[in-house]
Amino acid sequence: LTTQWLAIQSFQQSQDLLDALNTLSIHLKLKLAGIPDQQRTEAATRARETLVSFLESFEHILNVSEQTKGSAILGIDPRLRDLARSFSSAKSDRQRFHSVLFTKTVSEVVRLLKATGAEGEGEPLAAYCKTLIDSLGELRALIEEHIHKDTVQILGEI
Amino acid sequence: MREILHQSNICLLREIEKLEAWLAPISPVQELVPYHNWIVGACQLLHGKVLQNLRDLDLGRDEILSDILSTTQELSRMFSLYNQRLLSPVFRSLPSDQLCLRIVSWLHKGHRLTSNIPVGLSDGEFGIWPAPPFPTVYFMPSSAQRGLLYLPLFFHEFGHLLYACHKQQLDTAVRELQEEILDLLTPVSRRNDLYEQTEEGKRSEIAESWYKWAQELFCDAVGLSIGGPSFTRAFSAYFRMLGRSQFHLPREELTNVSHPVSWIRVKLLVERERQLGWSLEANALENEWQTLAKEMVIVEDHYGFYTDRFQPAIQQAIDTMLKEAGPYQITQGEVSCSEWVAGQCTPVCLLNRAWSMFLSDPANYSAWESRAIATFQALGV
Repeated sequence: LTTQWLAIQSFQQSQDLLDALNTLSIHLKLKLAGIPDQQRTEAATRARETLVSFLESFEHILNVSEQTKGSAILGIDPRLRDLARSFSSAKSDRQRFHSVLFTKTVSEVVRLLKATGAEGEGEPLAAYCKTLIDSLGELRALIEEHIHKDTVQILGEI
Repeated sequence: MREILHQSNICLLREIEKLEAWLAPISPVQELVPYHNWIVGACQLLHGKVLQNLRDLDLGRDEILSDILSTTQELSRMFSLYNQRLLSPVFRSLPSDQLCLRIVSWLHKGHRLTSNIPVGLSDGEFGIWPAPPFPTVYFMPSSAQRGLLYLPLFFHEFGHLLYACHKQQLDTAVRELQEEILDLLTPVSRRNDLYEQTEEGKRSEIAESWYKWAQELFCDAVGLSIGGPSFTRAFSAYFRMLGRSQFHLPREELTNVSHPVSWIRVKLLVERERQLGWSLEANALENEWQTLAKEMVIVEDHYGFYTDRFQPAIQQAIDTMLKEAGPYQITQGEVSCSEWVAGQCTPVCLLNRAWSMFLSDPANYSAWESRAIATFQALGV
């Protein structure tokens, strides 16, 4: 009766997030460079949805984590709890993490992700894309660190 | 950077193509066909994503190299997962797998949320990989796969899949249980000093441990709900000889273990088995573990991680979780089934019959089991 169930679930969630982050990041960068990327439009929309859904629930966990200040975080699986704690630590590491996601609020990034027609919302396209791309990149770094533990548990160490 | 990425993606592509070529001609047993199809589809998807990486590299844009690097690493990890873990249920497939695969397929088909999730079987300690939309892989030690007595332990593993399918609602029930446990641990009056801070830390540690523990206890209850006494018999037979750690663990180890010690699990199973009307079986199980504990001079102490005061809250939380997840509920007829008739009786009927046979006539059990397995494989559920 092993506990790999937790590692595989966490691994899968991180992989899905990385897929969404990379898809959207490439799409935004190509858009910014004026390169047509029609074939990825649908995947980029799905990526936004995946990230919005994750960040909305993750923000709730972060709020609980920050309110409890080191006390128990309840009703949350331990790996997600670890990620929330890593995120909170990253917020105070301004050398590595300085995007909107870590310096402002998660809601702000959710707002940007939902604003697909940024130009129509009064935000210049270049600024919009850059702000979002920075946040996606830093979230990706955090998740790439997070997935290591699950990968080792599932696949072992070489 | 571009050259490194190009080379890595070409290598990955070659590896994927090798697996695809290897997978294509395999004709698995019927129960493994959905799993095989899923893996073939997943490899095709991976193949397509690597080709996309190569097309992206051809765009010649430096600003997306970091994204292509991350994607290549993500795809490499996924490939390793397929190559090292998810493909083995297909490549190691044996005709004898049909026994286990039929039982887990029957389990999956019996629940609306799991009926379309493909199943695979692999060797290893009892376990499961329950991460839909991945297919579910069940793990079982090789010898246990070839007999009937330990198969009820699959029902516990299936509980993890039910948890994954109802995660949001069950997490809420677990949170409420953790809050109750924290309340029970917190003294009415508290000091305002360093000692109290340390104590609060210990209480938090215990409350957080109960996330995994609650899920394991829920899975035990699912096992009992599906398998009836065959589950508790398999459970006890498997764990009772694993040593002192099944009864007691030092405090520092309790913090890191994902399962409550087996003695706690037995206590809760005994209580639940009595509630379900199997008092004789419950008494036997309780006596068995008390006898072993007495022989080993175990002093029961779980350092606050569990006390009998928690029991009502735990049982209530598990009742709520069972109601939400809705596992199969064994009937009295299946428990007391005197003759297993292939095609008419369920697998749980067969497994309970197996335990009755083993306990009443151990000398002739092996011959009976071989005949029962042959009939089960020939005629099915």
